[in-house]
Amino acid sequence: MSLTLENFPPATLPPHAEALRQEVKAFIAEQLAGVPTHIRARTWAGFNADFSRAMAARGWIGVTIPKEYGGAGLDAFARFVLVEELLAAGAPVAAHWIGDRQSAPLLLHYGTEEQRRTILPRICNGELFFCIGMSEPNSGSDLASVRTRAEKVEGGWKLNGQKIWTTYAHKSHYMIALVRTSGTSEDRQNGLSQFLIDLSLPGITVRPIMIGTGDTDFNEVFFEDVFLPEDAIVGTEGNGWKQVNAELAFERSGPERIYSSLVLLDLWARLLGDNPDTAQAARLGRLVARLAPLREMSVAMTALLTQGHSPITEAALFKDMGTEIEQQIPAEIAEAVAAHPDVAADPELLRTLAYLMQLNHVFSLRGGTREILRGMIARGLGLR
Amino acid sequence: MNDEDNFLAEAFRRQLGAMITPAAIRAVEEGKSATALWAELNESGFVDAMLPEDAGGAGLDLAQAFPLICAAGEFAMPLPFAETMVARGLLARHGVGIPGPGAIVMAASSNLLPGARHADHALVGGDGGSALVAITAQGDDLFNTGAATSIEQGELIATFAAEPDTVLVCAAAVSSALMAGAMARVLEMSLRHASERQQFGRSLGKFQAIQQQLAVLAEQVLSAQVAARGAFVGASFDPVRVAAAKCRANEAATVVCNIAHAIHGAIGVTAEFDLQLYTRRIKQWQLAFGSEVYWGARLGLARIASRAETTADFLRLQLATKAD
Repeated sequence: MSLTLENFPPATLPPHAEALRQEVKAFIAEQLAGVPTHIRARTWAGFNADFSRAMAARGWIGVTIPKEYGGAGLDAFARFVLVEELLAAGAPVAAHWIGDRQSAPLLLHYGTEEQRRTILPRICNGELFFCIGMSEPNSGSDLASVRTRAEKVEGGWKLNGQKIWTTYAHKSHYMIALVRTSGTSEDRQNGLSQFLIDLSLPGITVRPIMIGTGDTDFNEVFFEDVFLPEDAIVGTEGNGWKQVNAELAFERSGPERIYSSLVLLDLWARLLGDNPDTAQAARLGRLVARLAPLREMSVAMTALLTQGHSPITEAALFKDMGTEIEQQIPAEIAEAVAAHPDVAADPELLRTLAYLMQLNHVFSLRGGTREILRGMIARGLGLR
Repeated sequence: MNDEDNFLAEAFRRQLGAMITPAAIRAVEEGKSATALWAELNESGFVDAMLPEDAGGAGLDLAQAFPLICAAGEFAMPLPFAETMVARGLLARHGVGIPGPGAIVMAASSNLLPGARHADHALVGGDGGSALVAITAQGDDLFNTGAATSIEQGELIATFAAEPDTVLVCAAAVSSALMAGAMARVLEMSLRHASERQQFGRSLGKFQAIQQQLAVLAEQVLSAQVAARGAFVGASFDPVRVAAAKCRANEAATVVCNIAHAIHGAIGVTAEFDLQLYTRRIKQWQLAFGSEVYWGARLGLARIASRAETTADFLRLQLATKAD
């Protein structure tokens, strides 16, 4: 096994997808008029329910979900165009992000007809926001060791345990959680199942975690004898690990893995003016040169996904490099700004830079750490 | 790329496998005559692949030529095959006759001209257009790869209208594809070595530290390959696309060579081992035809000049794969 250029066949976004772009640009220009860059820099970490509902009103949440379930019935290419424009502009997409990217496709693929009928239309109309329950206090990268357990009881399941680092759980309506339904953490990937959890149920406590910047995107979520109905299970009991892995290519292959610092890059580029010195032009160009093949890879993987492939190793390789450039952009611009201590930097540039400098080190943690991804690449290379 | 193109590239790789063996490369590097090898390449027809069909070529466009150039890099081609193929195509497009069976290199301003030792002719560029000249003498071959630090220009054979940097852009594009091909082979060799070489009672590839390094090696190779492929679109090279390709190839080359040699240990640089045949060539291309800073600056200026609202727009409009 190896990884070659053939793993990323050249692909283009088809005209029907590109046709969406100008409309999306116009929408964003109108919605985000006057929003400063340091707020835009939050992109897919920025939670704005009004913005998400305005998106839903356009039919732009769940675009890949079939029309019969409330979606737009478009393909992954259309979603790529939509998401690329949203991220490049720094639109606050967090409220609907998880539901749109992962939960709705998961329910479409593995859910029951009843789950699809009741949940999908409400994701698509911006009514329901989702979070993902994966990590636990003692299960980070070692996800298969999760201990939160759902026990079979009369008429359903009884859930006990705890999730942590659950992004926007405190503002979400539902969680899709990976929990143990049989065996022990010694059984690793076996005996895990996914559940659709209504976060308003009794026995659930959501406690925000404040991070050093003062932000509270993360949460601890506690489950104490939570009764889940029979039909809360998603897919097949015991099949949770496989289902979670099927999501990985979707979670790791998108433009959100390369554009998290883009609004900063573009503000800085604008401020360079028409005649930057060679060093600054080279700094900008080298970052662009790294972004270019990554965008190509992302489009290529979108094509592979539409063809029914699951490019998990490719997505790991892309995400590892993508988050590296997302981290590098603030680092480079910080270096450029601080290289001239005697020159007053643009205040908005400084604000945006300061925000990203305090968070860029975690860009490589969310959605699978660098070390885990490189381990997956090594497996793809036949080393493990 | 369609099936026919793949078939062509595969056929070429088979020929290279038989023709450009490590022994053949070493013979050329040791100063044995390369005349027979060049004649064989010439007779294969691939050197003329970018000539129009009515001129005896295959009429390959840039996208179709890309896998052939990568293959040349993958086999550590010791003669300026790719350079000649692209130069002949360029001459034909400008209505200039092929100057004979000899090799042609692109002698853009550069401190190193890969392949120049084995070339009879060179393309040179300038403000007044481009010219085809005879080579009468070559400077030092610093990497023992057939490169020269300079050439002495003899007879001016033909001139043709072109941008002042056309020759440089072509040379950088060809270099980035050759580098991509050579780096892909270096990855393959490193993976093989890591699985064969035993230390502490197990193969190197079983050590997590080595696995993580090989993952990074693969990333850099893939990124450079995708960037190089992006430069081979359309009828003629676009300087913006080439800038991204050569910038990326040069950056990747440092990481790729460091990791590959770290995996191999000291054996990797020995004359009897093949790895150095590739990494010496990668390093010479790194030094030739513009660095990551040179091309990065050109790309950065192009980004600014584009007035694109976002860099995503710039990537899409100027660097993305184009529909056929």
